[in-house]
Amino acid sequence: MEVNKKPKFEVNNLNLFYGDFQALKNINMNISSNEITAFIGPSGCGKSTFLKTINRMNDLVPGVRIDGSIKLDGLDIYSDIDVIKLRQRVGMVFQQPNPFPMSIYDNVAYGPRIHGIKKKSVLDEIVEKSLRQAAIWDEVKDRLKRNAIGVSGGQQQRICIARALAVQPEVILMDEPTSALDPISTQKIEDLAVELKKDYTIIMVTHNMQQASRISDKTAFFLSGEVIEFGETGQIFSNPRDKKTENYITGRFG
Amino acid sequence: MLSRQAKDTIVKGLIYFSAASTVGILAVILGFIIIKGLPGLSIDFLTRDYEDNTTYVYSELLETQEGNSTEGYSERLGITLDFDEENGLVIAEIDKDSPVRNALDGNDEKYTVKKGDILTRIGDLRIDREFKELDSKDEKAAAEFVQKAIDEIDAVKEDSVRLRVVRIGGGIVPMAVTTIYMIILSLMIAGPVGILSAVYLNEYARPGKIMTTIHFAIKNLAGIPSIIYGLFGSLFFVQILKMQYSLLAGALTISIILLPTIIATTEETLKSIPKTYRESSLGLGATKLQTISRVILPNALPGILVAVLLSIGRIVGESAALLLTAGTVAQIPHALFGNSASGATLTIKAYTLMKEENDLTSACAIGIVLLVIIIAINVASKLITNKFLKKKGI
Ligand SMILES: Nc1ncnc2c1ncn2[C@@H]1O[C@H](COP(=O)(O)OP(=O)(O)OP(=O)(O)O)[C@@H](O)[C@H]1O
Ligand SMILES: [Mg+2]
Repeated sequence: MEVNKKPKFEVNNLNLFYGDFQALKNINMNISSNEITAFIGPSGCGKSTFLKTINRMNDLVPGVRIDGSIKLDGLDIYSDIDVIKLRQRVGMVFQQPNPFPMSIYDNVAYGPRIHGIKKKSVLDEIVEKSLRQAAIWDEVKDRLKRNAIGVSGGQQQRICIARALAVQPEVILMDEPTSALDPISTQKIEDLAVELKKDYTIIMVTHNMQQASRISDKTAFFLSGEVIEFGETGQIFSNPRDKKTENYITGRFG
Repeated sequence: MLSRQAKDTIVKGLIYFSAASTVGILAVILGFIIIKGLPGLSIDFLTRDYEDNTTYVYSELLETQEGNSTEGYSERLGITLDFDEENGLVIAEIDKDSPVRNALDGNDEKYTVKKGDILTRIGDLRIDREFKELDSKDEKAAAEFVQKAIDEIDAVKEDSVRLRVVRIGGGIVPMAVTTIYMIILSLMIAGPVGILSAVYLNEYARPGKIMTTIHFAIKNLAGIPSIIYGLFGSLFFVQILKMQYSLLAGALTISIILLPTIIATTEETLKSIPKTYRESSLGLGATKLQTISRVILPNALPGILVAVLLSIGRIVGESAALLLTAGTVAQIPHALFGNSASGATLTIKAYTLMKEENDLTSACAIGIVLLVIIIAINVASKLITNKFLKKKGI
């Protein structure tokens, strides 16, 4: 590990409350760029909550309270960066493929358009590039005008990835992006994530241990709102330091 | 003790009977309206003004060249006159270059005489009086009556003649126009207000006591009989705001009636739009306003359209509230409010025709027109809903 490489995200003493319920407890973590960081842990442990905090999607939840800090390239995401700008830099792909009910083209062009790009030629270029990056161009290039709702779930998810890429983010958050997909589509998305980390920082929540160990560089194990262990994926899976981590990854959890 | 099968049969019979009587009653009502109204329904009924219109016009006269002796043809005016048993002297045909097409009325404004207009006076000849003395069964006398009029025109020494033209009414054009005005104006007021309120309630307002109160109010407003709104409108808009019986007073009153429905329907539609659309849009860095205008509203459009169509149905059918705010005059309103702004919609006219003029045929003929409009609206909203569902793949 390069020692002097600056982290993309620095999370310090992060606590998050939904009303009275504390969903995240004192989280400290540095996330490096051009890597895949996997979040694993049992259901309800706060993985999605943490992911949504990183691009401030939690702002939408009424009654949420946050203390501590998250810094993106050294700037606090709550005080130093405009939330619109933040979400442009930190894109998100959800568990359920959720394209808008409009054409494939319009889905991918949605982000660039809201950020003010109007020229058809520029949009065409962005759409093609993003769909290529998301490894779906060949499958949909002849039906860009067709409704995105009409394609398969795996294709929808890659369209959603293309849609996220089209705003040229630096970071992509993925919340269980393959849990609703078949093995072949899953394989495609995994390959895609590995391909994308050359240009992007990827943070991915997954329930699939093999997936985490196959594609991620770092892994964080969450339990009841706490990060129990965070480190190199190889080490976490082969030689976990904490007994709870070991129990979880070997399936002896509970 | 009845067997289970017998009970079943009885219940089934009752169900069939109820269904059949509902359909039967509907058929009787529609049949009644159609049978009573069809005789009154005609192109004239749909295209004519309601009142007869009498106008004095001045028309230039052409030079006669003698020789043309087609029966009833007046060369100098370029028109063919005919005898009409009911109205007397009717203009049956007008030449392309006839000067009556460019006649001037008393204010020197152009008044185009049209086919079907009645002439009751030519110069000093009182055709209407001649007509009264005529035995309409006598064909020869009728032909002489027409010829006399033509001779009168030929005898004029000046190069123009004064005519009294009666344009026969008996049509529903003013009411149809008033209805359309009322629809447009009411929707222009209630549409934006209702849709924006729904957007506010669903997308911006935080749930709480105030929201509960607002929703409670909306629900109850929708159930109030429209006569109450009519009383309010006639007091507030007509009297206090001095709008008089007018288009605007009517449209504002109707808008209040429509608002709860528009808000509730739109809100329902907004609620049905998946939360994920909002999340993904915001997640891509869109502002809330962009999300609403580019994702939420376009997806809510079919629902909003249905709300609008239902509103049109409501406006077309409204009687009590409009009776007290827009008046019963059969005229096209010439202003939004004030003296000449009053006008009866089709429904109101059907009511007054029956109530004040005892004209069942015309009232039912209007009834048929209303039925056609309402059926068209229902079909349209069905089509929209179906198309929407298909698009969503449900
Ligand atoms: N909007 C909310 N309001 C209140 N509590 C919430 C809210 N969202 C999540 N929680 C709670 O916070 C905790 C963490 O939820 P979170 O969705 O982050 O879990 P997760 O690790 O993503 O679980 P899963 O693997 O099932 O997706 C859970 O106990 C959950 O019930
Ligand atoms: Mg989750």
